[in-house]
Amino acid sequence: MPESKSSASQVQVEQKNYQMPPKDGITIAHFIVVADMERSARFYEKVFGARILSGGDSKGAPSYMQLANTWLIVNVGGGPTPDKPSTTLSVPANPDLVSSFLNIRVADIQACYKLWKSRGAEFITEPKPKYGETRCYIRDPDGYIIEVGQTNPDVTYG
Amino acid sequence: MSQVQVDGKTYQMPPQDGFTVAHFITVADVERSARFYEKVFGGRILTTGNSEGAPGFIQIANTWLIVYFGGAPTPDKPTVTLSVPPGPDSVSSFMNIRVADIHSCYELWKSRGAEFLTEPKVKYGETRCYIRDPDGYIIEVGQSNPDVAYG
Repeated sequence: MPESKSSASQVQVEQKNYQMPPKDGITIAHFIVVADMERSARFYEKVFGARILSGGDSKGAPSYMQLANTWLIVNVGGGPTPDKPSTTLSVPANPDLVSSFLNIRVADIQACYKLWKSRGAEFITEPKPKYGETRCYIRDPDGYIIEVGQTNPDVTYG
Repeated sequence: MSQVQVDGKTYQMPPQDGFTVAHFITVADVERSARFYEKVFGGRILTTGNSEGAPGFIQIANTWLIVYFGGAPTPDKPTVTLSVPPGPDSVSSFMNIRVADIHSCYELWKSRGAEFLTEPKVKYGETRCYIRDPDGYIIEVGQSNPDVAYG
Protein backbone atom coordinates (compact mmCIF):
# COMPACT_ATOMS: atom_id res chain seq x y z
CA MET A 1 0.00 0.00 0.00
CA PRO A 2 1.53 3.38 -1.00
CA GLU A 3 2.40 5.65 1.90
CA SER A 4 0.38 8.48 0.35
CA LYS A 5 -2.84 6.71 1.44
CA SER A 6 -2.31 7.99 4.95
CA SER A 7 -5.91 7.50 6.03
CA ALA A 8 -5.52 3.74 5.86
CA SER A 9 -1.94 3.44 7.07
CA GLN A 10 -2.84 3.87 10.74
CA VAL A 11 -5.12 0.88 10.58
CA GLN A 12 -2.49 -1.21 8.84
CA VAL A 13 0.14 -0.47 11.46
CA GLU A 14 -2.16 -1.78 14.15
CA GLN A 15 -3.22 -4.78 12.11
CA LYS A 16 -1.57 -8.14 12.11
CA ASN A 17 0.37 -8.91 8.95
CA TYR A 18 -0.16 -12.50 7.79
CA GLN A 19 2.73 -14.44 6.32
CA MET A 20 3.43 -17.91 4.98
CA PRO A 21 4.76 -19.75 6.86
CA PRO A 22 3.34 -17.91 9.90
CA LYS A 23 5.89 -16.55 12.37
CA ASP A 24 3.23 -16.60 15.06
CA GLY A 25 -0.42 -17.53 15.24
CA ILE A 26 -2.00 -18.93 12.10
CA THR A 27 -2.32 -18.28 8.38
CA ILE A 28 -5.10 -19.91 6.38
CA ALA A 29 -4.72 -21.52 2.96
CA HIS A 30 -7.04 -23.39 0.62
CA PHE A 31 -6.06 -26.92 -0.39
CA ILE A 32 -7.24 -28.72 -3.51
CA VAL A 33 -6.39 -32.16 -4.83
CA VAL A 34 -5.32 -31.92 -8.47
CA ALA A 35 -4.38 -34.32 -11.27
CA ASP A 36 -1.41 -32.23 -12.43
CA MET A 37 0.31 -29.73 -10.11
CA GLU A 38 2.09 -27.92 -12.94
CA ARG A 39 -1.13 -27.52 -14.96
CA SER A 40 -3.01 -26.15 -11.96
CA ALA A 41 -0.24 -23.75 -10.99
CA ARG A 42 -0.10 -22.37 -14.52
CA PHE A 43 -3.90 -21.96 -14.60
CA TYR A 44 -4.10 -19.97 -11.36
CA GLU A 45 -1.06 -17.93 -12.38
CA LYS A 46 -2.38 -17.12 -15.85
CA VAL A 47 -6.00 -16.38 -14.97
CA PHE A 48 -5.78 -14.76 -11.54
CA GLY A 49 -2.18 -13.58 -11.42
CA ALA A 50 -1.31 -15.98 -8.60
CA ARG A 51 2.35 -16.09 -7.67
CA ILE A 52 3.87 -19.58 -7.86
CA LEU A 53 6.08 -20.00 -4.80
CA SER A 54 6.91 -23.66 -5.19
CA GLY A 55 6.15 -26.28 -7.83
CA GLY A 56 6.28 -29.11 -5.30
CA ASP A 57 7.84 -32.49 -5.99
CA SER A 58 6.90 -36.14 -6.40
CA LYS A 59 8.04 -37.01 -2.85
CA GLY A 60 5.06 -35.33 -1.24
CA ALA A 61 5.78 -31.61 -1.25
CA PRO A 62 2.75 -29.72 -2.55
CA SER A 63 2.81 -26.75 -4.87
CA TYR A 64 2.25 -23.36 -3.22
CA MET A 65 0.74 -20.29 -4.80
CA GLN A 66 -0.06 -16.95 -3.28
CA LEU A 67 -3.45 -15.73 -4.42
CA ALA A 68 -4.47 -12.28 -3.12
CA ASN A 69 -4.98 -12.59 0.67
CA THR A 70 -4.57 -16.35 0.78
CA TRP A 71 -2.47 -19.24 -0.44
CA LEU A 72 -3.54 -22.08 -2.65
CA ILE A 73 -1.89 -25.41 -1.92
CA VAL A 74 -2.24 -28.13 -4.54
CA ASN A 75 -1.12 -31.73 -4.50
CA VAL A 76 -2.01 -35.04 -6.05
CA GLY A 77 -4.48 -37.31 -4.25
CA GLY A 78 -3.72 -40.36 -2.19
CA GLY A 79 -4.89 -42.95 0.29
CA PRO A 80 -5.22 -42.60 4.05
CA THR A 81 -2.22 -41.38 6.04
CA PRO A 82 -1.37 -41.90 9.75
CA ASP A 83 -2.86 -38.48 10.57
CA LYS A 84 -6.12 -39.13 8.65
CA PRO A 85 -6.47 -42.92 8.75
CA SER A 86 -9.92 -43.14 7.11
CA THR A 87 -9.71 -40.32 4.55
CA THR A 88 -8.95 -40.65 0.86
CA LEU A 89 -8.00 -37.60 -1.21
CA SER A 90 -9.00 -37.46 -4.88
CA VAL A 91 -9.94 -34.95 -7.55
CA PRO A 92 -13.69 -34.23 -7.60
CA ALA A 93 -15.49 -37.49 -8.33
CA ASN A 94 -18.50 -35.60 -9.65
CA PRO A 95 -17.92 -31.91 -10.47
CA ASP A 96 -21.68 -31.25 -10.27
CA LEU A 97 -21.94 -32.36 -6.64
CA VAL A 98 -20.18 -29.70 -4.61
CA SER A 99 -19.76 -28.98 -0.91
CA SER A 100 -17.05 -26.32 -0.72
CA PHE A 101 -15.25 -24.02 -3.11
CA LEU A 102 -12.98 -21.05 -3.53
CA ASN A 103 -15.06 -17.88 -3.46
CA ILE A 104 -13.51 -14.83 -5.12
CA ARG A 105 -15.20 -11.59 -4.12
CA VAL A 106 -14.55 -8.82 -6.63
CA ALA A 107 -14.99 -5.05 -6.91
CA ASP A 108 -15.99 -5.10 -10.61
CA ILE A 109 -17.43 -8.39 -11.83
CA GLN A 110 -17.89 -7.34 -15.45
CA ALA A 111 -14.22 -6.36 -15.71
CA CYS A 112 -13.10 -9.58 -14.01
CA TYR A 113 -15.36 -11.67 -16.26
CA LYS A 114 -13.89 -10.14 -19.39
CA LEU A 115 -10.28 -10.21 -18.19
CA TRP A 116 -10.31 -13.74 -16.82
CA LYS A 117 -12.21 -15.04 -19.85
CA SER A 118 -9.60 -13.45 -22.14
CA ARG A 119 -6.95 -15.36 -20.16
CA GLY A 120 -8.65 -18.68 -20.82
CA ALA A 121 -11.02 -19.14 -17.86
CA GLU A 122 -14.09 -21.22 -18.68
CA PHE A 123 -17.15 -19.61 -17.16
CA ILE A 124 -20.29 -21.72 -16.68
CA THR A 125 -22.43 -18.66 -17.50
CA GLU A 126 -22.00 -14.91 -17.77
CA PRO A 127 -22.53 -12.89 -14.56
CA LYS A 128 -26.15 -13.04 -13.33
CA PRO A 129 -27.91 -11.01 -10.63
CA LYS A 130 -28.73 -13.09 -7.55
CA TYR A 131 -29.88 -12.25 -4.03
CA GLY A 132 -27.73 -9.28 -2.96
CA GLU A 133 -25.04 -9.82 -5.58
CA THR A 134 -24.04 -10.52 -9.18
CA ARG A 135 -22.40 -13.88 -9.63
CA CYS A 136 -20.82 -16.34 -12.03
CA TYR A 137 -18.70 -19.47 -11.83
CA ILE A 138 -15.48 -20.72 -13.39
CA ARG A 139 -14.46 -24.37 -13.80
CA ASP A 140 -10.81 -24.97 -12.99
CA PRO A 141 -8.78 -27.69 -14.82
CA ASP A 142 -9.91 -30.41 -12.37
CA GLY A 143 -13.56 -29.41 -12.49
CA TYR A 144 -13.67 -27.42 -9.25
CA ILE A 145 -16.09 -24.52 -9.36
CA ILE A 146 -14.79 -21.09 -8.39
CA GLU A 147 -17.40 -18.54 -7.45
CA VAL A 148 -16.87 -14.98 -8.65
CA GLY A 149 -19.20 -12.52 -6.98
CA GLN A 150 -19.74 -8.80 -6.57
CA THR A 151 -21.95 -7.77 -3.69
CA ASN A 152 -24.57 -5.05 -4.19
CA PRO A 153 -23.54 -1.68 -2.70
CA ASP A 154 -26.25 -1.84 -0.01
CA VAL A 155 -25.02 -5.14 1.40
CA THR A 156 -22.49 -4.88 4.23
CA TYR A 157 -20.56 -8.10 3.70
CA GLY A 158 -19.61 -10.13 0.70
CA MET B 1 -16.32 -3.61 6.24
CA SER B 2 -13.56 -5.89 7.47
CA GLN B 3 -10.02 -6.11 6.17
CA VAL B 4 -6.81 -8.03 6.61
CA GLN B 5 -3.18 -7.32 5.88
CA VAL B 6 -1.22 -9.95 4.00
CA ASP B 7 2.41 -9.51 3.08
CA GLY B 8 2.02 -5.76 3.56
CA LYS B 9 -1.04 -5.33 1.33
CA THR B 10 -4.52 -4.70 2.65
CA TYR B 11 -7.49 -6.79 1.51
CA GLN B 12 -11.06 -5.79 2.25
CA MET B 13 -14.41 -7.55 2.35
CA PRO B 14 -16.16 -6.54 0.22
CA PRO B 15 -13.16 -5.48 -1.91
CA GLN B 16 -12.93 -1.81 -2.94
CA ASP B 17 -10.73 -2.77 -5.86
CA GLY B 18 -9.33 -5.99 -7.28
CA PHE B 19 -10.45 -9.11 -5.44
CA THR B 20 -10.42 -10.85 -2.08
CA VAL B 21 -10.50 -14.62 -1.73
CA ALA B 22 -12.84 -16.43 0.67
CA HIS B 23 -13.62 -20.08 1.42
CA PHE B 24 -17.19 -21.29 1.00
CA ILE B 25 -18.62 -24.35 2.73
CA THR B 26 -22.13 -25.77 2.54
CA VAL B 27 -23.45 -26.39 6.06
CA ALA B 28 -26.51 -27.88 7.71
CA ASP B 29 -26.84 -25.10 10.30
CA VAL B 30 -25.31 -21.65 9.69
CA GLU B 31 -25.52 -20.64 13.35
CA ARG B 32 -23.87 -23.85 14.57
CA SER B 33 -21.00 -23.48 12.10
CA ALA B 34 -20.49 -19.80 12.90
CA ARG B 35 -20.28 -20.60 16.62
CA PHE B 36 -17.82 -23.44 16.00
CA TYR B 37 -15.40 -21.30 13.98
CA GLU B 38 -15.76 -18.48 16.50
CA LYS B 39 -15.19 -20.66 19.55
CA VAL B 40 -12.33 -22.81 18.28
CA PHE B 41 -10.35 -20.44 16.06
CA GLY B 42 -11.45 -17.02 17.32
CA GLY B 43 -13.25 -16.25 14.07
CA ARG B 44 -15.21 -13.00 14.02
CA ILE B 45 -18.85 -13.50 13.06
CA LEU B 46 -19.75 -10.63 10.74
CA THR B 47 -23.23 -11.88 9.94
CA THR B 48 -25.16 -15.11 10.33
CA GLY B 49 -27.08 -14.32 7.14
CA ASN B 50 -30.75 -15.06 6.68
CA SER B 51 -33.02 -17.67 5.13
CA GLU B 52 -33.65 -15.53 2.02
CA GLY B 53 -30.24 -16.28 0.55
CA ALA B 54 -27.71 -14.22 2.51
CA PRO B 55 -24.90 -16.47 3.80
CA GLY B 56 -23.02 -16.28 7.08
CA PHE B 57 -19.65 -14.49 6.99
CA ILE B 58 -16.89 -15.24 9.47
CA GLN B 59 -13.52 -13.52 9.34
CA ILE B 60 -10.72 -15.89 10.34
CA ALA B 61 -7.10 -14.76 10.25
CA ASN B 62 -6.27 -13.65 6.68
CA THR B 63 -9.46 -14.94 5.08
CA TRP B 64 -13.22 -15.15 5.30
CA LEU B 65 -15.34 -18.23 5.67
CA ILE B 66 -18.72 -18.03 3.94
CA VAL B 67 -21.25 -20.60 5.08
CA TYR B 68 -24.70 -21.38 3.74
CA PHE B 69 -27.21 -24.15 3.24
CA GLY B 70 -27.11 -26.43 0.24
CA GLY B 71 -29.44 -26.18 -2.70
CA ALA B 72 -30.39 -27.22 -6.17
CA PRO B 73 -28.96 -25.71 -9.37
CA THR B 74 -29.28 -21.94 -9.89
CA PRO B 75 -29.29 -19.96 -13.16
CA ASP B 76 -25.57 -19.23 -12.78
CA LYS B 77 -24.67 -22.90 -12.15
CA PRO B 78 -27.43 -24.84 -13.90
CA THR B 79 -25.99 -28.34 -13.32
CA VAL B 80 -24.44 -27.95 -9.88
CA THR B 81 -26.03 -29.11 -6.62
CA LEU B 82 -24.64 -27.91 -3.28
CA SER B 83 -24.80 -30.22 -0.27
CA VAL B 84 -22.93 -30.98 2.93
CA PRO B 85 -20.24 -33.65 2.40
CA PRO B 86 -22.04 -36.88 1.41
CA GLY B 87 -19.07 -39.01 2.48
CA PRO B 88 -16.71 -37.11 4.80
CA ASP B 89 -13.94 -39.66 4.15
CA SER B 90 -13.80 -38.86 0.42
CA VAL B 91 -12.25 -35.41 0.22
CA SER B 92 -11.07 -33.15 -2.60
CA SER B 93 -10.50 -29.78 -0.95
CA PHE B 94 -10.25 -28.35 2.53
CA MET B 95 -9.27 -25.41 4.65
CA ASN B 96 -5.60 -25.65 5.51
CA ILE B 97 -4.47 -23.80 8.62
CA ARG B 98 -0.74 -23.25 8.75
CA VAL B 99 0.47 -22.60 12.28
CA ALA B 100 3.62 -21.39 14.01
CA ASP B 101 3.29 -23.80 16.97
CA ILE B 102 1.23 -26.90 16.29
CA HIS B 103 1.39 -28.36 19.78
CA SER B 104 0.01 -25.24 21.40
CA CYS B 105 -2.71 -24.97 18.72
CA TYR B 106 -3.60 -28.64 19.27
CA GLU B 107 -3.95 -28.17 23.02
CA LEU B 108 -5.80 -24.85 22.78
CA TRP B 109 -8.27 -25.85 20.06
CA LYS B 110 -8.89 -29.25 21.69
CA SER B 111 -9.69 -27.49 24.96
CA ARG B 112 -12.22 -25.39 23.05
CA GLY B 113 -14.02 -28.47 21.75
CA ALA B 114 -12.32 -29.24 18.42
CA GLU B 115 -12.39 -32.94 17.51
CA PHE B 116 -9.01 -34.00 16.14
CA LEU B 117 -8.68 -37.18 14.06
CA THR B 118 -5.29 -37.84 15.68
CA GLU B 119 -2.66 -35.95 17.64
CA PRO B 120 -0.04 -34.10 15.56
CA LYS B 121 2.13 -36.49 13.55
CA VAL B 122 5.40 -35.99 11.70
CA LYS B 123 4.98 -36.07 7.92
CA TYR B 124 7.11 -35.09 4.93
CA GLY B 125 8.46 -31.63 5.73
CA GLU B 126 5.92 -30.86 8.44
CA THR B 127 3.96 -31.91 11.52
CA ARG B 128 0.26 -32.29 10.88
CA CYS B 129 -3.13 -33.17 12.27
CA TYR B 130 -6.75 -32.79 11.25
CA ILE B 131 -9.97 -31.49 12.80
CA ARG B 132 -13.50 -32.49 11.83
CA ASP B 133 -15.88 -29.54 11.71
CA PRO B 134 -19.59 -29.92 12.61
CA ASP B 135 -20.51 -30.94 9.04
CA GLY B 136 -17.67 -33.43 8.70
CA TYR B 137 -15.27 -31.23 6.74
CA ILE B 138 -11.63 -31.92 7.53
CA ILE B 139 -9.46 -28.96 8.45
CA GLU B 140 -5.74 -29.48 8.14
CA VAL B 141 -3.52 -28.01 10.84
CA GLY B 142 0.14 -28.05 9.88
CA GLN B 143 3.48 -26.65 10.95
CA SER B 144 6.26 -26.78 8.38
CA ASN B 145 9.76 -27.78 9.38
CA PRO B 146 12.12 -24.80 9.79
CA ASP B 147 14.09 -25.79 6.67
CA VAL B 148 11.03 -25.71 4.40
CA ALA B 149 10.58 -22.44 2.57
CA TYR B 150 6.80 -22.43 2.29
CA GLY B 151 3.93 -23.76 4.35
